[in-house]
Amino acid sequence: MAALAELTALAADRTAVAHEWSAAGRPVAGYVGADVPVEVLTAAGFLPVRLTGDPDTPPVAGDRYLGRGLDPVARSVLTRLLDGAYGPLSALVVSHDCEASLRLFYAVRELHRTEPGIALPPVHLVDVLHLPHRTTTRYVLAKIRQLRTQVERWKGSPVTAEDLAGAVAAHDRVRSLLGRVAGLRRTRPARLTGIEALAAVAATTALPPDRAALLLEALLAEADALPEAGGTRVFLTGSSHDHPRVHAALEEAGLLVVGEDHDWGDLLHHRLVDPPPDPALLELALAERYQHNGPAAAAASIRQRAAHTAAAARACRADALLSYVRVHDDAPRWDFPAQRAATGLPAVLVDRQPYGRIDLDALTALRTPGVAA
Amino acid sequence: MTRLDSARRATRHQRQWFEDLRAEVEAGAPLALVNADAPQEIFRAMGIPYVVNQWWASIITAKRQGQDHLGRVRAHGYPDDSEQYNALPLGGVLDPEPDTGPWGGLPRPTIVLGETTGDAARKVFDVWDEQPGTTFYALESAAENAVPPNWWELMPHRWEEAIGSDRLDLLVGELEGLIRFLETTTGLVFSETRFRDVMDLVNEQEEWNRRTRDLVAAARPCPLEVTDSIPSVMVPQWHRGTAWGVEAAKAFHDEVAQRVAAGTGVGVDERARLMWIGRGLWFDLDFYRRFQDSHGAVFVWSMYLAIAADGYLRYGDDPLRALAARFATFSDQLYTPPWSVEWYVKEARHHGVDGVVHLVSDDPRGSWFTTRGLEAAGFPVLELHADNVDARTADPDTLDRKVRDWLDAVVLPRAGARGG
Repeated sequence: MAALAELTALAADRTAVAHEWSAAGRPVAGYVGADVPVEVLTAAGFLPVRLTGDPDTPPVAGDRYLGRGLDPVARSVLTRLLDGAYGPLSALVVSHDCEASLRLFYAVRELHRTEPGIALPPVHLVDVLHLPHRTTTRYVLAKIRQLRTQVERWKGSPVTAEDLAGAVAAHDRVRSLLGRVAGLRRTRPARLTGIEALAAVAATTALPPDRAALLLEALLAEADALPEAGGTRVFLTGSSHDHPRVHAALEEAGLLVVGEDHDWGDLLHHRLVDPPPDPALLELALAERYQHNGPAAAAASIRQRAAHTAAAARACRADALLSYVRVHDDAPRWDFPAQRAATGLPAVLVDRQPYGRIDLDALTALRTPGVAA
Repeated sequence: MTRLDSARRATRHQRQWFEDLRAEVEAGAPLALVNADAPQEIFRAMGIPYVVNQWWASIITAKRQGQDHLGRVRAHGYPDDSEQYNALPLGGVLDPEPDTGPWGGLPRPTIVLGETTGDAARKVFDVWDEQPGTTFYALESAAENAVPPNWWELMPHRWEEAIGSDRLDLLVGELEGLIRFLETTTGLVFSETRFRDVMDLVNEQEEWNRRTRDLVAAARPCPLEVTDSIPSVMVPQWHRGTAWGVEAAKAFHDEVAQRVAAGTGVGVDERARLMWIGRGLWFDLDFYRRFQDSHGAVFVWSMYLAIAADGYLRYGDDPLRALAARFATFSDQLYTPPWSVEWYVKEARHHGVDGVVHLVSDDPRGSWFTTRGLEAAGFPVLELHADNVDARTADPDTLDRKVRDWLDAVVLPRAGARGG
């Protein structure tokens, strides 16, 4: 179980590899949101590190600049960014995966303009949008090309077609492996807990893709030796989880998170770029991958979400549906009535939760005898 | 003080227009419910009646039916403390007796047009989409990296430079799709010449608003109350692209000009000029008058006339691209720094205000940067934290007290010193 332990450790210490990378004179790019096409950063020689918040540190600076009416994760990320908690970052790429990320970008851009004394990395917004229309595809393609141009400027040299193709292949490999790892908790009995699966996903967002792939392959190789995981099989929807504490609380309370439809979980990896044979179409394939990846709560319709949640909960053999919603993360609350109807499972909405915490008393309905382990 | 004739006429017109609209829809006409920040001119050109979502929300709130409407949203399992401004009209369609709404209720729309701003606004429209006979046509809400701060100077003619081509290409493509969708589903025709007329009328109307804004900015004392200015500019705004809209905007201008020439104010000794940043406080419109008698403090600015003056003018040979330019960044003008911040500072200077009351709702709108920008430019700012349509979020006495204390401690001494 060495691979699982290493992935868990790397998920907890997300700057460890970034420090090694920086020490070797190589650039690290922090990024916000699953809609950042990390392939472009990898192709340019950056280590892309997805930025996480910290529920234990009061988001004082984030509250000041963003207000308190915003998802506390974004407020925490901005606070940590201003505190230098991520180590040296050569660049920051922010996606428009939700309103909080967009507002974070605007805040950083405005701080650059009005408070030049504050040390912040150069920032770029990659405006990946998600309506399922050709007009949006053309726009996302333009945004991916814009990101490539910006990254080339930072790098000081072109990102070649070969570099980009290699990066796409490397990240697709990680996604495929994460898909197989997710399968370990779909079996009955499950071989991976929710918190372990969350750690595996999180670790891959702080590692170069080749190293992430090696660790995931090692985890799959040791899967038969993993202990059986027990508990009421729950499919988790609602807010995303960049920190393991909610999963830990749920699983300590006797639930087992067997699947989840947020972008620190299965939504991060379930769609590949799967590049076409013609290399000239690679950027377009990237655009389509990021446009249609999801459906994440903040960017998808109620109907799309309900259909996806129902199918995913079935695939995960879940016995119950739990929607966990953080305070000021409004989209999932609108999704819940249709998700409950579409899954047909016993379902609970636990909303307006503080970052990193959950009111376990609200889960009684999921722990009744009717919901079998 | 006497209400402006233009405000009275606008309100009267709106009642009659709504009654006629109800009859038209009853007779089988399609109806569009359109978000305020989404293009309405295509409906105008095609002769499709439409109602603006936020205008209807303001009517629901002003008629004290807001909590009833939110209660129905809640009863269907949806949150009643999320996107209230956008969600109020939804509470009407979920009413088993929709005719009990204000003015006989909003007829059921056949199409809902809205942009996917924020995380939850589009969900409200998704629920509309589930209603029998209603289709939600979604528009993207795109963002850009670098923007020139002086948008109000660039927008009338150099909008491509201000907004960037990618966003315009996107919205033009979406609007072409909307036209085809409407042609297909209604059988009505989109005439390019008619559309050009509509766009010309809109620019003509907004030019009158620009002149009116400039009159108000320069006048001492302030010639009208903000509660008069809002209906005088906004009711015609929802009818833009019509001859009536132009006439109403001109009549408003002429009435203000007469008052300025006569030196007519709002009936008090004007001791402090205030700016109101944020949406209208629809559940307590008397708020804006409350400090006139007690402090001689007059609200001389709200965004409604100012954004009409600066936010809509778009000239150019390609009317559909010009329409896209009107809306591709509409909310950025009001809520996204640096555009919002620099514009509020420009307007505060233009109107010579002594202080700014800044309504900060729970939704994130770059409020810190707005307050900071105004303070850095030398304007005292009072932040009030409340939702503009949800009276539960603020105790009126507390709001009043905060404003009074701030006027006494900060604004009046400053205004007095400035006045010499």
